[in-house]
Amino acid sequence: MKLSKDKLADFLAAIPGKTVFGPQLSGETLRFTPVTRPGNLCPTVNNATVPPKSVVFPQTETMFRFEQGATDIRTAEPSGETVLFGVRPCDARAMSIVDNVFFWDVDDPYYLIRRTNSALVGLACLDPCVNCFCTSMGGGPASTEGLDILLTDLGESYLLEVLTGKGEMLCQSAEKLLSQASSADKEAAKMLQEKAAAQISRQIDPSGIPARLPALWESPIWEKISASCLGCGICTYLCPTCHCFDMQDETEGEESRRYRTWDSCMFSEYTLHASGHNPRPTRRERTRNRINHKFSYFVDKFKVMACVGCGRCINLCPVNIDILDILSQVGEQAL
Amino acid sequence: MLDLDKLRALAKETISRDDIKYLIGWRQGTYGFRTSPHFVGNLEDAEQLIFSPLCSSNLATYLTLAEKRPVPRGAQPDTRRVAIMVKGCDSRAVVQQLVEQGIKRESVYVIGCPCEGIIDRRKLEEKVPHTLERVEARWENGKIILDLPAGRAAFPRDEIVAGKCLTCRYPNPVIADVTVGEDVEVRGSAGFEDINWLEVKNAQERWAFWRDKVNSCIRCYSCRNVCPMCYCAECILDKLNPAWIQRSVNVSENTAFQLARAFHLAGRCIECGECERVCPVEIPLSHLNRKLVKEVSEQFAFTPGIDPEAKPLLAGYRPNDREAFIL
Repeated sequence: MKLSKDKLADFLAAIPGKTVFGPQLSGETLRFTPVTRPGNLCPTVNNATVPPKSVVFPQTETMFRFEQGATDIRTAEPSGETVLFGVRPCDARAMSIVDNVFFWDVDDPYYLIRRTNSALVGLACLDPCVNCFCTSMGGGPASTEGLDILLTDLGESYLLEVLTGKGEMLCQSAEKLLSQASSADKEAAKMLQEKAAAQISRQIDPSGIPARLPALWESPIWEKISASCLGCGICTYLCPTCHCFDMQDETEGEESRRYRTWDSCMFSEYTLHASGHNPRPTRRERTRNRINHKFSYFVDKFKVMACVGCGRCINLCPVNIDILDILSQVGEQAL
Repeated sequence: MLDLDKLRALAKETISRDDIKYLIGWRQGTYGFRTSPHFVGNLEDAEQLIFSPLCSSNLATYLTLAEKRPVPRGAQPDTRRVAIMVKGCDSRAVVQQLVEQGIKRESVYVIGCPCEGIIDRRKLEEKVPHTLERVEARWENGKIILDLPAGRAAFPRDEIVAGKCLTCRYPNPVIADVTVGEDVEVRGSAGFEDINWLEVKNAQERWAFWRDKVNSCIRCYSCRNVCPMCYCAECILDKLNPAWIQRSVNVSENTAFQLARAFHLAGRCIECGECERVCPVEIPLSHLNRKLVKEVSEQFAFTPGIDPEAKPLLAGYRPNDREAFIL
């Protein structure tokens, strides 16, 4: 199927009863926010700074409210149905990876409702950025994992690849706006996708990393890598697979709420015990934790690496701590 | 022009001294226009040292960021000095830390690096996107020369340097035990014309401007962590009981955070611009800092980070201090 770009606004408007989120400017950078005017969408420039995980796992999310002295709690209103438009394949793959955690031993009710209520309309990356390495992590600029529809930008129109039942439902409501794609269109899309994959120049073979990490627990590389680390939350907050959160209470007048909010293993008070003891007392242990969690613990539990190669942590680290550089050091270190 | 061989020879000589623990400088980064802080502990490390228009990090942050591990029983604490390379703005951070007694003079060995302006990576990447190969840069006759994969390119300095460099009045280090290279011309003016456009707006317009910016803050605290003047052992932002500023991320708490951060720097900010450089959502924090610098300058004729013998602004008192702002 094919959707002419000038019909995009109508396509989005034809989706009944769902809030559409898409990459739009918030301040100076892109993030996924509710679309009120489709003209504000920026689907073709670089990937959003804040990954779309923020829609299904908001940075701050109210769990319930309560009043001082009362014993009952009021759970938060369940969120409605959403469509995430313009999701990059790496970020969609990341959501499937994060699902492992939130649907592990117990289904996380807050995540469950947002995740099952969301449909993902992806956009193939045709101009990957310098630090993209999705092809090394099992994905690609046109990977369909986790997506309900994949769009490929053909210039005047989008080629639609409907991937799931959810995707079909979305198309049904906008059937009149879609036209049949020709085999030339499909061929053109394939060419663009292949060209994009070939443009990705940063590569690594991470297959040996999970086995090497436990042996490098006490290696001096961690102290060296973390020496310049500032201990800020950029790499984890903007990582599409990082999912740690903290829970806090906030009181205003008589009313209080319990909310959860993103947390980062790079922060000094992360896992700080009430006794004052911290099992990860310095940036060395915190950096080691970030890498081990992604490439060792996660693999042990869920058989997949918690990194999709989106490149955000490399692009935005203030001091050029480069996850590919770390992985090659891990790969080269004598065991 | 800076002679890298001389710099590396100086570094080797420095780290060979008995009273030096290690040297903090810069090295080429892993790709494109990036550089990285570089901790030089041996002669081999010294070979990677660089100083160029790409050396953006203010390394003074590491003087207070380095974690002190417990000294084993019976062992003596390592009291050797840390050698640190500083640009003009960075040197002001060292002075301000000395003034506040955050560090001791005998604990640092300052290598001054006169600086003609540091490249703003965002400005450069707009002109030269998609650069993976490592690029070297240097100052030459008022221009910045880049060895790009496509060949050599010269950019007028003012087109690609950071905003802070356009207003910089201290390109030459204000404190140094040894200096690398020649002193450079001071180009910045003493005025605050750069924030005029924001000051002339009325309160509602200014709030609309800041609300939009602050709304995009993700509270990663990179602005605080990179700041060489943010070195409190326990930061107000990390306090949970009482939680002066909530962890929840919204306009109200974000504003409280950004205002607390800016006000804690009143009379202390040395305008290295690191907070603005590292912000992943590009909040123009220097506007806020510049406004406070202006107020401090106009109210108290005080410029922080210049004189190591000075008293901190808020710890000093002069009978003729202006009081017009007291209601």
